[in-house]
Amino acid sequence: MKIFSESHKTVFVVDHCPYMAESCRQHVEFDMLVKNRTQGIIPLAPISKSLWTCSVESSMEYCRIMYDIFPFRKLVNFIVSDSGAHVLNSWTQEDQNLQELMAALAAVGPPNPRADPECCSILHGLVAAVETLCKITEYQHEARTLLMENAERVGNRGRIICITNAKSDSHVRMLEDCVQETIHEHNKLAANSDHLMQIQKCELVLIHTYPVGEDSLVSDRPKKELSPVLTSEVHSVRAGRHLATKLNILVQQHFDLASTTITNIPMKEEQHANTSANYDVELLHHKDAHVDFLKSGDTHLGGSSREGPFKETITLKWCTPRTNNIELHYCTGAYRISPVDVNSRPSSCLTNFLLNGRSVLLEQPRKSGSKVISHMLSSHGGEIFLHVLSSSRSILEDPPSISEGCGGRVTDYRITDFGEFMRENRLTPFLDPRYKIDGSLEIPLERAKDQLEKHTRYWPMIISQTTIFNMQAVVPLASVIVKEALTEEDVLNCQKTIYNLVDMERKNDPLPISTVGTRGKGPKRDEQYRIMWNELETLVRAHINNSEKHQRVLECLMACRSKPPEEEERKKRGRKREDKEDKSEKAVKDYEQEKSWQDSERLKGILERGKEELAEAEIIKDSPDSPEPPNKKPLVEMDETPQMEKSKGPVSLLSLWSNRINTANSRKHQEFAGRLNSVNNRAELYQHLKEENGMETTENGKASRQ
Amino acid sequence: MPTVVVMDVSLSMTRPVSIEGSEEYQRKHLAAHGLTMLFEHMATNYKLEFTALVVFSSLWELMVPFTRDYNTLQEALSNMDDYDKTCLESALVGVCNIVQQEWGGAIPCQVVLVTDGCLGIGRGSLRHSLATHNQRSENNRFPLPFPFPSKLYIMCMANLEELQSTDSLECLERLIDLNNGEGQIFTIDGPLCLKNVQSMFGKLIDLAYTPFHAVLKCGHLTADVQVFPRPEPFVVDEEIDPIPKVINTDLEIVGFIDIADISSPPVLSRHLVLPIALNKEGDEVGTGITDDNEDENSANQIAGKIPNFCVLLHGSLKETLFIFADSKKKSNLMMSLFEPGPEPLPWLGKMAQLGPISDAKENPYGEDDNKSPFPLQPKNKRSYAQNVTVWIKPSGLQTDVQKILRNARKLPEKTQTFYKELNRLRKAALAFGFLDLLKGVADMLERECTLLPDTAHPDAAFQLTHAAQQLKLASTGTSEYAAYDQNITPLHTDFSGSSSDRM
Repeated sequence: MKIFSESHKTVFVVDHCPYMAESCRQHVEFDMLVKNRTQGIIPLAPISKSLWTCSVESSMEYCRIMYDIFPFRKLVNFIVSDSGAHVLNSWTQEDQNLQELMAALAAVGPPNPRADPECCSILHGLVAAVETLCKITEYQHEARTLLMENAERVGNRGRIICITNAKSDSHVRMLEDCVQETIHEHNKLAANSDHLMQIQKCELVLIHTYPVGEDSLVSDRPKKELSPVLTSEVHSVRAGRHLATKLNILVQQHFDLASTTITNIPMKEEQHANTSANYDVELLHHKDAHVDFLKSGDTHLGGSSREGPFKETITLKWCTPRTNNIELHYCTGAYRISPVDVNSRPSSCLTNFLLNGRSVLLEQPRKSGSKVISHMLSSHGGEIFLHVLSSSRSILEDPPSISEGCGGRVTDYRITDFGEFMRENRLTPFLDPRYKIDGSLEIPLERAKDQLEKHTRYWPMIISQTTIFNMQAVVPLASVIVKEALTEEDVLNCQKTIYNLVDMERKNDPLPISTVGTRGKGPKRDEQYRIMWNELETLVRAHINNSEKHQRVLECLMACRSKPPEEEERKKRGRKREDKEDKSEKAVKDYEQEKSWQDSERLKGILERGKEELAEAEIIKDSPDSPEPPNKKPLVEMDETPQMEKSKGPVSLLSLWSNRINTANSRKHQEFAGRLNSVNNRAELYQHLKEENGMETTENGKASRQ
Repeated sequence: MPTVVVMDVSLSMTRPVSIEGSEEYQRKHLAAHGLTMLFEHMATNYKLEFTALVVFSSLWELMVPFTRDYNTLQEALSNMDDYDKTCLESALVGVCNIVQQEWGGAIPCQVVLVTDGCLGIGRGSLRHSLATHNQRSENNRFPLPFPFPSKLYIMCMANLEELQSTDSLECLERLIDLNNGEGQIFTIDGPLCLKNVQSMFGKLIDLAYTPFHAVLKCGHLTADVQVFPRPEPFVVDEEIDPIPKVINTDLEIVGFIDIADISSPPVLSRHLVLPIALNKEGDEVGTGITDDNEDENSANQIAGKIPNFCVLLHGSLKETLFIFADSKKKSNLMMSLFEPGPEPLPWLGKMAQLGPISDAKENPYGEDDNKSPFPLQPKNKRSYAQNVTVWIKPSGLQTDVQKILRNARKLPEKTQTFYKELNRLRKAALAFGFLDLLKGVADMLERECTLLPDTAHPDAAFQLTHAAQQLKLASTGTSEYAAYDQNITPLHTDFSGSSSDRM
């Protein structure tokens, strides 16, 4: 495939001389009277288009199809020629659309039949066409800049489509010679210029058009090489429909197009809304969409007529879409389409249906009766594409199961967490250029890679490899620490998280440490906290170079980790108390009965008294009116499940099995907090109060009730 | 990339080869030896490859249809009989049929032709085929180039000197040329013996059957993987950039996109991404495919217990909204390759312009994940989305005129639509220089005015007259009245619109 082939640049040169104002002598009835109103009224006389109107509307149709199918990299320059050349647009991409061309044509207007024919000539236009072909396009410029020393690889080829009314074959020859001569001259000029390019290849397509019913004075001639640079072909065509048909055939030839007819499209009748009839719509697209048919020489596809190479169309059957479910089809190509008859009712029904976001699968009609879906029509952002779907056997069929491969036996991947990770690392287009502080252009994709790098600096893949990512309490810190820059609020949240953890440690809250691979109870509580703190430090340390604020988070963490001796002492006491918990069971039971909702409100007040904000955070977390965060992480089994407690000495097969089942089950739901903290399946409520105030709490509780 | 092994079983393959030692070998034994080596290699390192075995002489036969069962292929090698003369063309036609029936025309295939360099005699010989190559019709087209992307590897059970002594080598080179240069000829270096055959097949294996190993990366999360089938180099533009683009062995994840946004994109090829465990020498330990070999199995088991990023990624892709799976029970990670270039999908925009959502002012996916920044909208609408005017068929023109007429009869209720349609027609007529139409429609509106029933709203007559007058003025083509961007606006009358102020 070549980007800079002849079809990169197309110059239209349309004759605007007085004789083009002549009628094409093909009448159009425009006054179609409605039956019941026609009594006594004579319809207005039919009108006919001028040669100019026929030429312009046919060339606009050529451009319409081309722009629909190749909105980029295929450019048109429109030139009108009379007493001079009028160049209506430039090669720039902004000038490449129908509206621009239509507005420019309206400004030129129809040819003036009273102008002096002696001063008018198509030659002005042809000279201007050669000149414009030497001008470099944005795409050529970009490619040359990119290729640097290989800039000469960028080709400069083009096509001139000239619509005129020639006098004779020798007149045609004169036009060809003129183009030949002009190319020669301009190539000399271009050789000494930086912003002009020499023409390597030019295809001249001369279309002689004349009124219907007249004899042509010019004969057709197939493509012929006039020089190594110039080839020329001559088409002698009657005006009106015939000219439009010719240009339609040419646009298909020039841009390698093919035709597909969608058949069996069900459509509501305009008159009878309840009935629906089936319609056909013909679409044009790049011929590669038919690559499978061309190669296999499938000739049994219905509808392909044998009238000539460009009359052929391949018929595909509409399959009414069932739902709008998202499916990823194996698609080997997608090609923009253009309806042949864009304004007809069936065409606009089909295109509107697709533009509204529905996709349609297309089926190959086969004699054998087997159903083969080979294509799909679908719109993306207001453009309709014909997708080629693979309908043959897949070489990827029966792939090995991932569970049999590397890492396939591991069962505790952090699937949900990584799902969230992917969601956070989704991409979005940044169309406006952004600049870095040093003024250089920032590439959004590089930013995306940077972000992934930061987010994965510490990212354990399995649940049993991590403690902190199984703790809801760490989330506020873990979610912001990966950021490139922190706000003051972020730092504060991180600090709060750390204080919160300190508090949890002081209260001896259990941690979701995995016991996979360890025997017995697993590590002691203070060892668990040591592991947790180490892991948290690893996470924060991975990001300290991001900013000074990250540094501050680490400082806070380090300060909180190194506890004063009395704290250590208290912890030891705490552990002893834990051992005695069984004995205090009764007291707990009593307390349990006295519990009331108001208590917590009151207790909050007690605690807030003289307590710093860390306590507050804790209270809110534990108070009954704060619901659990909705996106709770799956929890691992706790280290103190009763089963584990009993399983001292050799482990029985039953306990191994039930452990396994419990582990699996525990992952499916969040463990009830009471059971987590229970001793022998009994939970002590409001433990923290006891810890804060000793036995007084109970008394206070009683007092409050009175 | 499926493989078709095409084995010559003509009599010339039974020519004996003089080898030091007791046993006497024939060329077909050497060929079988080489193919055994190839099959053994594939069975261990390339086991997802589908391979078929075709034998040919003057006729051809599909011995083993496409399979991954290398034992069957191996067995077939030992059950080959000897037949008559070599007739390459019909065998190649056979290959075309077999491949197209199984895989269609889009899947690249490798054809391994094993022959002794004797190209047959008379009709059907390669010399005859090549001599008549230029005199063929569409119906008996020479099978090369193959009607699917292909590589043709010719394994000669002969050494270079032997082939050069006749025109055999030349003919075989022609074959590769006819396949658009896709392929290669291998000959035996030195005397014909088992060792040299092995080294020849070794070269083929190195060229075409070495597994593609890569590293899948997502930031610091990485996994060693095998990509199957091997991604092939791709030429984007033979003129500007003739060097084929090859796939980097670092497969780097740059971000994620919802499957609905990707929306069945066109891809060059699809590949399985299989996690592998590499030992220090870089040899593969296990690709995760069950194997009877016990040593490998235990190695597999160990590898199975080490957490692997691929499995995590696969699991999360399946679990979340990024549905990404084969409908079958067994599933695996799959990678699709887009055509290389800055903008593989128009509806995603330029790849380099895709950045992290955290850089956007507000989340483009919405707080409730209810919207998406994709697809990108093109600057200009396509013709079918912008109500263009085409009058090439008379029906197109008649429909547009009818629309105006219909609305004219419902004035003043339809004043806005009437003028909208009128202006659309006016613009197109001016652009096409079709001024007669403006005059004609003006006449028609004037006639409509005279046909108005007595019950008609008085405003209707005013608007029709005004519109007709404006069209007539435009039809003169004078720049004052025929400006393209200027629209005919409704006449301001005492009747038009209750909101207008009356002075």
